[in-house]
Amino acid sequence: MSAAEIREQMGGNWEERSDGWWLPLPPEQIRAAAGSMLAGGARFVALVVSPDSQGVFGMSWHWDLKGTLLSVTTTLAAGKPAPSIVDIYIGADWAERETRDYYAVPFEGRLSTPPLMLREEDAPGMMLSPEAGRP
Amino acid sequence: MSYRIPIGPYHLALEEPYKIELDCQGERVTGATLKVGFNFRGIEWLAERKNITKAIALMERVCGICSNVHSMTFCMALEQIGGVEVPPRAQYVRVVMAELERLHSHLLWAGIAAELIGFQTLFMQLFHLRECVMDALESISGNRVNYSMNRIGGVNRDIDHPEAVRKAVSKVRDAVSRTLIPLFTTDQTVAARCRGVGKFSRAEAIAYGAVGPVARASGLDTDMRRDHPYLAYNALDFAVPTRPEGDVLARIVVRALEILESCRMIDQALKRIPAGPLHAGDIYTVPPGEAVARIEGPRGEVFYYVRSDGSDTPTRVKVRTPSFANIPTVTAMVRGSDLADVPLIQGALDPCYSCTDR
Repeated sequence: MSAAEIREQMGGNWEERSDGWWLPLPPEQIRAAAGSMLAGGARFVALVVSPDSQGVFGMSWHWDLKGTLLSVTTTLAAGKPAPSIVDIYIGADWAERETRDYYAVPFEGRLSTPPLMLREEDAPGMMLSPEAGRP
Repeated sequence: MSYRIPIGPYHLALEEPYKIELDCQGERVTGATLKVGFNFRGIEWLAERKNITKAIALMERVCGICSNVHSMTFCMALEQIGGVEVPPRAQYVRVVMAELERLHSHLLWAGIAAELIGFQTLFMQLFHLRECVMDALESISGNRVNYSMNRIGGVNRDIDHPEAVRKAVSKVRDAVSRTLIPLFTTDQTVAARCRGVGKFSRAEAIAYGAVGPVARASGLDTDMRRDHPYLAYNALDFAVPTRPEGDVLARIVVRALEILESCRMIDQALKRIPAGPLHAGDIYTVPPGEAVARIEGPRGEVFYYVRSDGSDTPTRVKVRTPSFANIPTVTAMVRGSDLADVPLIQGALDPCYSCTDR
């Protein structure tokens, strides 16, 4: 399947940018999007969290198909769970665990989200903790 | 009898810390758990607290081997946000640097692989060749590891001694064609040690998100230089070696063939490099915006997401290194393998724990 066919199959308002194609979706549609990507043969690339000053997390899941970047975005209030896609793309495991480490985002749909870069005793959300509390 | 073997975080074979716990049934590996983070430096956090100029230098510290591609990809993301045009000559200089770095990385890896297989002499020959490449990198940048070549909108230095680069490339090409490729493709000992070991299918490569030579050795025909051309790669003629077998031997062969392709690319780039400026002027800020930049590093696709609010400090920098994508694949590769093959399987990934942890 081509990237254009995946876009067509998924529908929605895809935006073409210089770096690829971007589609905003509500959180509950992320897993379906991941399923469509896998069915189309797309490779999972990365999960990015980008918080704004209001405490809202912009989250984007990125896939690649033959050099075309397909990015699906959603927004999430801090503390709200994000959908896990580990059962669809096992390669997302480390990305989700790192997201938990950095931004304390809980993931729904996986048994546990153990720390990846942090140690067991470290509190998640290191990118959010106050500057003064840092070593 | 089933038992668990914890290995690491300090290894005899690997120079970087990480931990693997192997579940075994007799000599057979039934499962593996990985633990990383021993090199965690919080580089993304640091990058969001430094101005762009300092952050470029910081990103070069993500990896000690492919340092250039990190500062380059970071700059490319910023250039996209700012709509900055990189002059053609600078694009060619970046290509030469990136391909020399690939030679450096692949030769280093091939040397380590030779040692793991038991070829000490080949290890020494390959490290000698790697020195020639590092000399070429030094002739351009003045540095052997962190080259400080990239800036927003171009490069800091020109290729003043192209003949030194050509000489090194010619030496690498001759030695790799005469020794490395015949050895890795026809030698019975290498084949016996590596064929069928650490199998990893194309479907697994997609599900795990494997990149670079690891993906290509499992039949996943992907290469950002060809599929999403950047810099001057569009103007160069090169092949993307792939193998369908998905074993250690396939990973070795793909990298060996890639060395020759990089030599070809450097030769072409040095012939075709146009005259002109090296950069687009002094740029210390970019307008508000976000961008993803992806390039093909020695170990595979490097992914950078950068967001700017228009100030001189990026508000978000996300780095997904190739090893971050590739290292989890070892859990699939070792499953069902002999315990004695685990070091070779890990080595064939060309893992970099420093850039995984960042």
